Amino acid sequence: MHFVGRSWLLLTGFILFYVIYLLFGALVFSSIERPMEDRMRTELEVLKQEFLNLSCVSDAALERFLLKVLAANKYGVSVLRNASTTSNWDLASSMFFANTLVTTVGYGHTTPLSDTGKAFSILYALIGVPFTMLVLTACVQRIMFPLVLAPVGLLQRSGLEPRPATIVHFLLLLILVVMCFFVAPAAVFSAVELSWSFLDGIYFCFISLCTIGLGDFVPGTQPNQQYRSLYQVAVMGECSC
Amino acid sequence: MATPDLLDPKSAAHNCKPRLSFSIQPVVLYTPEDECETRTTVMRWKTVSAIFFMVVLYLIIGATVFRALEQPYESSQKLAILAEKLDFLAMHACVNSSELEDLVKQVVSAVRAGVNPTGNAFNQTSLWDISSSFFFAGTVITTIGFGNISPHTEGGRIFCIIYALLGIPLFGFLLAGVGDQLGTIFGKGIAKVEKMIVKWKVSQTKIRVISTLIFILFGCLIFVALPVIIFKHIEGWSTLESIYFVVITLTTIGFGDFVAGEKGGSDNPEFLNYYKPVVWFWILVGLAYFAAVLSMIGDWFRVISKKTKEEVGEFRAHAAEWTANVSAEFKETRRRLSVDIHDKFQRAASIKRRLSSELGINQEMTPGKRSLSTTLCEDREAYPNLTLSLSPATGSLARNGSLYLNGLSPDYADRRECTFIESLN
Repeated sequence: MHFVGRSWLLLTGFILFYVIYLLFGALVFSSIERPMEDRMRTELEVLKQEFLNLSCVSDAALERFLLKVLAANKYGVSVLRNASTTSNWDLASSMFFANTLVTTVGYGHTTPLSDTGKAFSILYALIGVPFTMLVLTACVQRIMFPLVLAPVGLLQRSGLEPRPATIVHFLLLLILVVMCFFVAPAAVFSAVELSWSFLDGIYFCFISLCTIGLGDFVPGTQPNQQYRSLYQVAVMGECSC
Repeated sequence: MATPDLLDPKSAAHNCKPRLSFSIQPVVLYTPEDECETRTTVMRWKTVSAIFFMVVLYLIIGATVFRALEQPYESSQKLAILAEKLDFLAMHACVNSSELEDLVKQVVSAVRAGVNPTGNAFNQTSLWDISSSFFFAGTVITTIGFGNISPHTEGGRIFCIIYALLGIPLFGFLLAGVGDQLGTIFGKGIAKVEKMIVKWKVSQTKIRVISTLIFILFGCLIFVALPVIIFKHIEGWSTLESIYFVVITLTTIGFGDFVAGEKGGSDNPEFLNYYKPVVWFWILVGLAYFAAVLSMIGDWFRVISKKTKEEVGEFRAHAAEWTANVSAEFKETRRRLSVDIHDKFQRAASIKRRLSSELGINQEMTPGKRSLSTTLCEDREAYPNLTLSLSPATGSLARNGSLYLNGLSPDYADRRECTFIESLN
């Protein structure tokens, strides 16, 4: 009984700490983002007023129009003139979507619109997510040997003590991971995507690799992008890593 | 642990006791671990690449199905909105299309920043007030990441990265703890049910299967069916949309096309204050449930593969031990046999010599014969010792003694021994 009581205590302690952490994050985000949001809102109001003043459009008509446009945009359908004729659901994009579904990243820049699409994605996710997790665990177990044990053994044999050897190896591995999975893709993205800065590239890599997938940055969604399908396949490969 | 070469003359002479029993540590001809490693490495690569191809195939199938389902719908949407735009332009002739384009572009980017341009500017709740920021922080840490709110300043993004780096492992620990508690609660309940079922004399595996099914069903009821009904009622979604939202959220995919609690200020805000924390709590426990189910599936998989691996491993270990035992026994028998044969030869040779010498002396003196016959008898009694290889110390002593009685020098005996052993080899 005592042990059970202690584990409950530990758990409530954990939950409390977690709530405090969330509150802290909320405060910081709020203080950073809110001023910018207010500024953007006022800008937009001004823009809308200007538009209304210049033209013969009534407020209500504009509202209706904007609502429709925004609803379409939410699902990735753009009304802009130079919106590409390529669909959001050609084979490469669909595969990209399936990949985000199965790795639980879930950007949300394209979402299934039809009812059948939603039902199918439920089934697809329920089967695909555990499957992918098992695959990833198997891959990790397999990679563990050449990536962790062998180098550590090598370092040990070259004269280091076991503990510093593991530390050295860990540092080397960390640097390698950061280079391969963050810096290199971010450089590629900042070259290919026109509106992304280097920081945006690193931000995107991080959000994708943690499977958070906010969806504010998605590569390959700019209009008139060349080699779009190839590009999306490459991104997919990086994401599954 | 190498066995000393028992047929080597020096060690044979000086060897104390030969090993008759072998301990659990057999004579290892090769380390089983290396074999295991290389074997499982080969298997693992094959399985991993096979599974990888299966995943790619799964993705391709999903892509084709999604395309078939969604593309027609998308094109109809496109046509509808284009028609809308043309209608609007036609109705309001003073607006030219480039101005409209600009406005739409601005509006879209504003919406992406989270600002809703429809409606009045003044009665809108911010997307970054405390409760919404709290919700956003929660979506980041649980890696759901809806995306209806996302940071747009550079500082916000950098902080998001650092925040997630620390928060995701923290949430992982919490999830593990909650999952454990859930597991114990369910385990106790299932134990009670199992006790009842045992009275009906059902087999153990059946009980286990039934209890797992009960666990899954019960969990689904609490964490999926109930929230679906609640969301349907409060958010006004259809049943399919509610199920869709629940599944997408609890698997942490989190598209963000449906987000609970987004309806915002139209309802009374007090209600929202209770609603959002309850949703967050449901996400936490529901995630733990899903994680528990997934780990259970993973455990089954691992147990099955481990069992086969264990059986194979055990078999290999047994085989190695048996081979080692057999070879050691074989060596021992050979040594024994060689010593035996050698002794017998020695005996035969000495008897022959004695007989010849006796016969030679017999022709001359009689008392010598008596003494010689007594020595012969003594020798014959001494000889049985030679056959006992268990105590070669005494055996060799007897041997040496008898040889000495024969009048032969020990050196000669050794030399003959050596040649004999060499010939045996």
